[in-house]
Amino acid sequence: MKQRFISSVQIILQLALTTVGLTGQSYPGKPQIIRCRSLEKETFSCWWKPGSDGGLPNNYTLFYSKDSEEKIYECPDYLTSGPNSCYFNKNHTNPWTTYIITVTATNEIGSNSSDPQHVDVTSIVQPDAPVNLSLETNTSANMSYIWARWSPPPLADASFNSHVYHYELRLKPEEKEEWETVSVGMQTHYEVTSLQAGVKYIVQVRCMLDLGEWSEWSSERSIQIPKERLPPEKPTIIKCRSPEKETFTCWWKPASDGGLSTNHTLLYSKEGEEKVHECPDYKTAGPNSCYFDKKHTSFWTIYNITVRATNEMGSNVSDPHYVDVTYIVQPDPPVNITLELKKSIKRKPYLVLTWSPPPLADVRSGWLTLEYELRLKPEEGEEWETIFVGQQTQYKMFSLNPGKRYIVQIHCKPDHHGLWSEWSPEMYIEIPTDFRVKDMVVWIIVGVLSSLICLTMSWIMIMKGYRMMAFILPPVPGPKIKGIDTHLLETGKSEELLSALGCHGFPPTSDCEELLIEYLEVEDSEDQQLMPSHDTHCKNTKIILKETDSDSGRGSCDSPSLLPVKCRESHSLPSALQTQDVRAKEKKGGKGSWETQCTASEQKTLPCNSESKKSCTWLAAQLPSNQAAMFAYHSTVEAFRITLNTTNVNTSPVLVGNEENRQSLYPIAETAYDGMEKINEMEYSKTDQTTVQVRQNQQNDKSPFLNPKLMDYVEVHRVRQDEEPTLLLKHKENSGKTKKCTVPGTSKEYTKVSTVMDHHILVLLPDQRTQNTPVSQEPVAETSENPQQSQAEKNTSYSTTAPSDSTRDTSGSDYMDPSSFMPSFK
Amino acid sequence: HYQTLSYLSVSITPVCADLQDERYAQGRGFIAKAVNSCHTASLTTPEDKEQTQQIHHEDLLNLILGVLRSWNDPLVHLASEVQRMKEAPETILWKAVEIEEQNKRLLEGMEKIVGRVQSGVVENDIYTPWDGLPSLQLDDEDSRLFAFYNLLHCLRRDSHKIDNYLKVLKCRLIHDNNC
Repeated sequence: MKQRFISSVQIILQLALTTVGLTGQSYPGKPQIIRCRSLEKETFSCWWKPGSDGGLPNNYTLFYSKDSEEKIYECPDYLTSGPNSCYFNKNHTNPWTTYIITVTATNEIGSNSSDPQHVDVTSIVQPDAPVNLSLETNTSANMSYIWARWSPPPLADASFNSHVYHYELRLKPEEKEEWETVSVGMQTHYEVTSLQAGVKYIVQVRCMLDLGEWSEWSSERSIQIPKERLPPEKPTIIKCRSPEKETFTCWWKPASDGGLSTNHTLLYSKEGEEKVHECPDYKTAGPNSCYFDKKHTSFWTIYNITVRATNEMGSNVSDPHYVDVTYIVQPDPPVNITLELKKSIKRKPYLVLTWSPPPLADVRSGWLTLEYELRLKPEEGEEWETIFVGQQTQYKMFSLNPGKRYIVQIHCKPDHHGLWSEWSPEMYIEIPTDFRVKDMVVWIIVGVLSSLICLTMSWIMIMKGYRMMAFILPPVPGPKIKGIDTHLLETGKSEELLSALGCHGFPPTSDCEELLIEYLEVEDSEDQQLMPSHDTHCKNTKIILKETDSDSGRGSCDSPSLLPVKCRESHSLPSALQTQDVRAKEKKGGKGSWETQCTASEQKTLPCNSESKKSCTWLAAQLPSNQAAMFAYHSTVEAFRITLNTTNVNTSPVLVGNEENRQSLYPIAETAYDGMEKINEMEYSKTDQTTVQVRQNQQNDKSPFLNPKLMDYVEVHRVRQDEEPTLLLKHKENSGKTKKCTVPGTSKEYTKVSTVMDHHILVLLPDQRTQNTPVSQEPVAETSENPQQSQAEKNTSYSTTAPSDSTRDTSGSDYMDPSSFMPSFK
Repeated sequence: HYQTLSYLSVSITPVCADLQDERYAQGRGFIAKAVNSCHTASLTTPEDKEQTQQIHHEDLLNLILGVLRSWNDPLVHLASEVQRMKEAPETILWKAVEIEEQNKRLLEGMEKIVGRVQSGVVENDIYTPWDGLPSLQLDDEDSRLFAFYNLLHCLRRDSHKIDNYLKVLKCRLIHDNNC
């Protein structure tokens, strides 16, 4: 009945609320019972959560009923357990009853009830967590314990303390995640073992009644387990070393110190002694070391060395280390490494590496003897080349490539027992590039190019050999006399030659002058007298004299350079005629040879040049030795031709110069002072010329230079085949030369044949056309004599030409003055 | 003379080292026991550089002489006993003989030098007898080996000592401390 009533009321309320909901306010939401709990099975509480309040203040009421009854009770205590709770005290709690609890929320509009909650007290029992948890740690015999204590949860009613709880404890290291849970039982303390030293642990406990649930875990408690305290572990001695065989140092390595500060002591004893000493110096060599100075170092004695580590918990001793200092010497690396580049005899550079022993090592007294070793590698190389050097402190390196960079290092060790030092710092070597290498390349290139050039040249030569030859060595033009065929001359067919000559109007006329060849003109006005009946067309037979100068060994005399100087210097020269002794041989036919000796008048040459004196004398000396048939004159490029002009018509044209001489050049200048004359034999074929005119043609423009050259030359001409060869001498006076020098272009020198001696010696007279009166005087004087002489002998030879004063100026034929040498002949 | 001597002594030492290392070095056990058992230990010789430089050269020469004399006998027996060892490789036999010969030469050379250096006749009684022959002839192989090792160890040390003394003398007397 009541239930129906309640439900009907609820429906009405809901209806009211829904109607009112439209106005913004409604009846409250449905509350909800959260939980009910009993702490000790004798009381319990329920808590609910209110629903929406509908905008109006709500009032909550809890109603409950027991399952065996229908009576509805209201909550006896809303306050004890806090808001929205209901506390059922001992009187209202019946553990064997199921409660049906409902909470109703009411406001002005309506009310709302929660769903009924069936609560069985026995099933909702859960005590509070234990309290007052305390922890203690204890370490004994290298074991640590945690001692935990706590108190049961407090209850409002002290009478409840008779309850017995079961407890549970859990702990874990602080950094870890997993708990270790231990069931403690009913006691409120517990001892934890198997703990790690030095770890911080967190502990919690909880409890439970005989029925119900476990309580929550208590708040955490943590505790730190202290680290283990141990005596130190055994240290080890690493090594002992002596850098100079006078002191030594030992190093050790400490082991774990047990968590406590540890002290190390080094103890040693020497062989043969009982006493144990302690390390004299712990500091000099750094931490964990012991330094033995000189006083404490003995050799050839075994040391027994140990290290002891000590801490609060105890001490520990290392294994003994036996050491004889003589065997542990390890020096420092060598110092003062220097390089010096030297050149050996063969100009190949080599390197001398020098170094000094380390400063501490006493090598000087012989106490310590070191051996050295060096290693070498190219900078980019991988492998070192190790070279044992021995006890010397220098090393010569020959096998290094120029231009490369090398790295070198040196180390040393005692000569017997001992250890190698560290390698010295890297030293870089750079060899200067040997220029020879470049030389080789250059020479190779040069060789290749030159060979190419040679090949090209030879190819060209082969292809155009003849032309080249002609270009380089132009042929000496042969005598070109119109109407004269040299071949005919050679072959000796005089008839043909004469005819040839005749055709051309031999003797050649002035057309001969067209020939661009210098020739010597000898003119004789008395040719007609001398010459036989042969007529010549051309008064001037131009005979080209070719003078060859075989090697007479002339020296400075022959140098053209002298002559100009001589010419310039001389102002006046004595007009002494140069008598020349010319020796001539017949080259062809050899009927006779004119011999003339040229003697240069020293007087003439003196003013000009003192040198000429010497040269001339020298040449004079050489003259006798010169048996050359031909007169040879050194000449420059020009060939002087002596043309014989035969005044006598009858005279056959004078022969052309000797074939042999064709190629020769006459250094007239050189022979000027020498008087070295060679007679070119000229063959006259079928010529009846008795007189020969020799005309000298000089190129004026070259006269200053040439005139001295045009000194003397003699040509032997054969007027006739059967006659003795005529001798044409071209003789120039020094004065003439000088004159020519001074007055270029005007001088012409001729030699006049004064006499013919021995049927083959032509005596010539110097020309009197020289401007110097004194010069001319003599020749005049001489010539005055000579004509007579010549005339006297005219008949004997056709080749003589008498000087004629009258024609001197015009013809300018000069003849040698035999006066100077007449006696010699006679 | 000094140079010859130093050469000779020099050549002994590495041979000794080889001899020792090759066969008989068996770790620290031997070393430990070998301490203080050289028969020449009774001879008072310079122990460091200062002592070596301060001692008079005649005294030093006499000392060297004494040491060499003391080693004459042991070397003879060493050579002969080594030949008896079954496991000994030939190199050891050869080296032992070589050492003995060189020691004799050294001794002769030294006696000559000392004879020259010393003025007058001085009785040199620096000598230590050697009584280790029985130990070389023990039946127990390990003991015998140890005896050999010990002897070689002492030989190596003494030869190095003599070599050092001779070098110091050479540099002092010949090169005037400017080697």
